[in-house]
Amino acid sequence: MRRAEPWLVVASAASSLAILFLFLPLAALFTMFDPRIFAKVFLYNPVFYRVARAAMLTTFEASGLAVALNACLGIPLAYILARKRFRGRGVIESLVDVPLLLPHTVAGIAVLCAFGHAGLLAPITKPLGIYIEDTFLGIVLAMAFVSAPIMIDTAKVGFASVDPELEMVARSLGASPSRVFASITLPLAIRSIAAGAILSWARALSEVGAILIVAYYPRTLNVLTIEWFSMYGLPYCIALAVPLALVSIALFTLLRLVIQRAHD
Amino acid sequence: MLTIRNLVVRRGSFELRVNHLAVPRGEYLVVLGRSGAGKTTLLYTIAGFVKPVSGSIEIDGVDVTHLPPEARDIAIVPQSYALFPHMSVLSNICYGLRVRGVSKSVAEARAREIARRLGIDRVLDKKPRQLSGGEQQRVALARALAVEPKILLLDEPFTNLDPEARHEARKLVRDLHRELGFTAIHATHMFTDAVTMSTRVAYVDRGRIAYVGTAREFASTPYARRYVEEIREVARILFEA
Repeated sequence: MRRAEPWLVVASAASSLAILFLFLPLAALFTMFDPRIFAKVFLYNPVFYRVARAAMLTTFEASGLAVALNACLGIPLAYILARKRFRGRGVIESLVDVPLLLPHTVAGIAVLCAFGHAGLLAPITKPLGIYIEDTFLGIVLAMAFVSAPIMIDTAKVGFASVDPELEMVARSLGASPSRVFASITLPLAIRSIAAGAILSWARALSEVGAILIVAYYPRTLNVLTIEWFSMYGLPYCIALAVPLALVSIALFTLLRLVIQRAHD
Repeated sequence: MLTIRNLVVRRGSFELRVNHLAVPRGEYLVVLGRSGAGKTTLLYTIAGFVKPVSGSIEIDGVDVTHLPPEARDIAIVPQSYALFPHMSVLSNICYGLRVRGVSKSVAEARAREIARRLGIDRVLDKKPRQLSGGEQQRVALARALAVEPKILLLDEPFTNLDPEARHEARKLVRDLHRELGFTAIHATHMFTDAVTMSTRVAYVDRGRIAYVGTAREFASTPYARRYVEEIREVARILFEA
């Protein structure tokens, strides 16, 4: 009988522990989930459901808008970074990734410093009546700031993977640059862009640190979870956490499908 | 007619200079040269993908030097064929006609006609990745010819084919040229292409056009020494034929 190699035994044991470590908290979350508390929180107790439903709506609306903002501003930037060579390109690429590396509270403070009532852009935003402190806009900006790098980086990889010769041939056949972008570049990079949007949305949904600094109100599900943890304890937090976990798992599944189709 | 005057193109440390080159309408000019000699740079400059430092490019008397590629009425078949992978063969062939405002039904009818002529009418619904190298090459050719360009540029179009498919492709392109009478500029490192395809040969050496004339005359120039083995092979094929 063949004896297993010692390093393989150790690696298998470590792998099993790693899988257990990653799986156990998620399994525990669903095991400890109490449907009665969930019903109370979201369905029949107005004290809870008014707040919980509003927080859920705020979370999904704000994260959706943050992804839309990232797409509108980030996709053109990703295209330029993937296709054009210019001085300072490396600096811009590094700057794009900075929000990923900042501690979340620092990201929140940075957003306040830029767009807050005493921020750099205050001379422009104040006369226009634009405020981000404790506003829905503040949540959108905080979410967009922390999730934009993921959208830009993923879209950039998608654009970079499109063979420039395809674009050249399309132009020689008579297509304008915008037509080439719409008919060749974008369709070929769309799966990367979709993956970027999904990852960016997941990141925006999970944000709490920056939002706590910029806009505690209106409360998102994450902020409400922290609040209820100190007020009502774990069971009520689980009722709030499970829908978020389910959405995250659904997003992850969608991402896998997008990536799988890209490879087919 | 294509006329190039005092053209200077720089790409990094490489410089291409063409003092004068005229390609009459209907000519099949083979631009011969080794790798890195400047053949592709010349083609890309004519197509408008590379901007020259100085000089001029005229097509039928119109200065196109500063026109974008889409305004030059030139089609290119690159070495990789660059077929649009997300489109069917039919959509690939129709692409140029559609972006020029031709209606879908007319474009498809024209594409089917040219596909039949090139023997690819059975693969119109397939995606490029489902095709053989020879079929891909013919689709790229059909896509370029569908728009009836003033000049057809071919960049090493037969390099990726096996010898048998290459022989077939040469015959096909030669027959198409005789039949349709388009103006073609064909960059290649293969002397066989020059002998079998060209009306004239332009030999490019280290960024300069060193020779322009017939392939037969080229064979007696010092530049032809580089192609001795290939010339022998051509002679053998001709002898056998």
